[in-house]
Amino acid sequence: MELSWSTFVLEIVNFLVLLWILQHFLYRPIAEVIARRKAGIDKVREDAQALHAEAQQLKQQYENRLADWNAERQQARAVLERELEAQRRAGLEANRSALEQEREKTRVVEASRQAEARRALQETALAQGAQFATRLLEAAAGAETQSGLVELVIAGLSQLSAERVAAIRQSAESGTGDLVVLSALPLLPEQRDRLQQALLSVAGVSTPPRFELREDLLAGVRITLGPWVLGCNLRDELAGMAALRHAQ
Amino acid sequence: MAAADLQIAPVIELGPLVITSTVVTTWVIIAVIWLCCWLLARRIALQPGPFQTAAEGVVTTITDAIAEVAPDHAQRIMPFIASLWIYLVIANLTGLIPGAHSPTRDLSATAALAFLVFLSTHWFGIRIQGLGNYLRHYLRPSPVLLPFHLISEVTRTIALAVRLFGNMMSLEMAALLILLVAGFLAPVPILMLHIIEALVQAYIFGMLALIYVAGGIQSQQRPESEKE
Repeated sequence: MELSWSTFVLEIVNFLVLLWILQHFLYRPIAEVIARRKAGIDKVREDAQALHAEAQQLKQQYENRLADWNAERQQARAVLERELEAQRRAGLEANRSALEQEREKTRVVEASRQAEARRALQETALAQGAQFATRLLEAAAGAETQSGLVELVIAGLSQLSAERVAAIRQSAESGTGDLVVLSALPLLPEQRDRLQQALLSVAGVSTPPRFELREDLLAGVRITLGPWVLGCNLRDELAGMAALRHAQ
Repeated sequence: MAAADLQIAPVIELGPLVITSTVVTTWVIIAVIWLCCWLLARRIALQPGPFQTAAEGVVTTITDAIAEVAPDHAQRIMPFIASLWIYLVIANLTGLIPGAHSPTRDLSATAALAFLVFLSTHWFGIRIQGLGNYLRHYLRPSPVLLPFHLISEVTRTIALAVRLFGNMMSLEMAALLILLVAGFLAPVPILMLHIIEALVQAYIFGMLALIYVAGGIQSQQRPESEKE
């Protein structure tokens, strides 16, 4: 248990040397590698935080974009719905107009068809009436009726206007035809002479007319001079009535 | 024979300088530590191997223990305290090697370490607080306590040296006595106790040195409650 000063001093020196060795070969390298590792970890952490922040930013950006897309989609849908509504209304309006036109057309066609039917019925009625009148006049026609009609012709010829008389004489002068008198029944001699005299006087010709029989005239006479025709018989009257009614 | 084994035999004598087995053993320990550290420093990497992981674990654990006591100056005093712990663990366990003796069974070695602790306490205290502030703490809480402070500085240093020396020497002596009385393999249990005792004594020495140094550094620092 002696204290050796040599050992004391050498141990002090030894420990200081050991302290230097440990400081340079253990503490400092380990501190440096721990610091580098910590710096690396901090860098990785900062990178991770930066990535996280970037991811958050991207997420926010994506959500904003999604919201914008949703808004645009809603807006586009609203516009589309408005356009569809407008087109639907336009289509309905067009359909309504077309239907109205079709209805008007149908109404016009129906009216035309009814008018045509009514006209056909009227013509049928006229034809039937004419047939009835023809049969009635055929039954009622006779010498008295023809005599009356001849008298009416003679009186009418004497009352013709100057223009008509001039037109008749012009037809006679053109020589396109003979003066012909058709009668349903044989004329009485006295009536025949007066009628001839009246015709010659009106036509201004000297050639006596040719008298012929036409039973289908029922009663009365038909006088022709070229294009000029004077009908005063039941057949022509019935035909004239039918033509007049048909013209109306 | 027992007396010869307990004697610190001189190996080389160069005039007044006597190199004992304690110094030689210390040189061997330093050489081994230097070799290990050199190999570690050469192969140190960000992805640590098993050896580097153990070394980092040791250094980190010591740094954390120092930071618990002196959080503001842990990096500054860590090399000294950590070197004490590492050296004492290895030196104390050296006695388990057949034919070798622990350097700490020599009072000269433990006294040298205790003297270094004594010096470092004042060194760190003056470096950190300044000479005036550091010397002023001997007058607190009352100048009357100055002699007791001075006596404490000496006695705790002596106690530090003698405690480690006494424990380590007594362990080797006990093992030697048991070997002499009971024969071969009988001291094995006491050698197992030697391991525990070596670790405990290294821890106690290093922790006391840490407390002394931290006390010297923080003697002028008032608690937060007093500041308020």
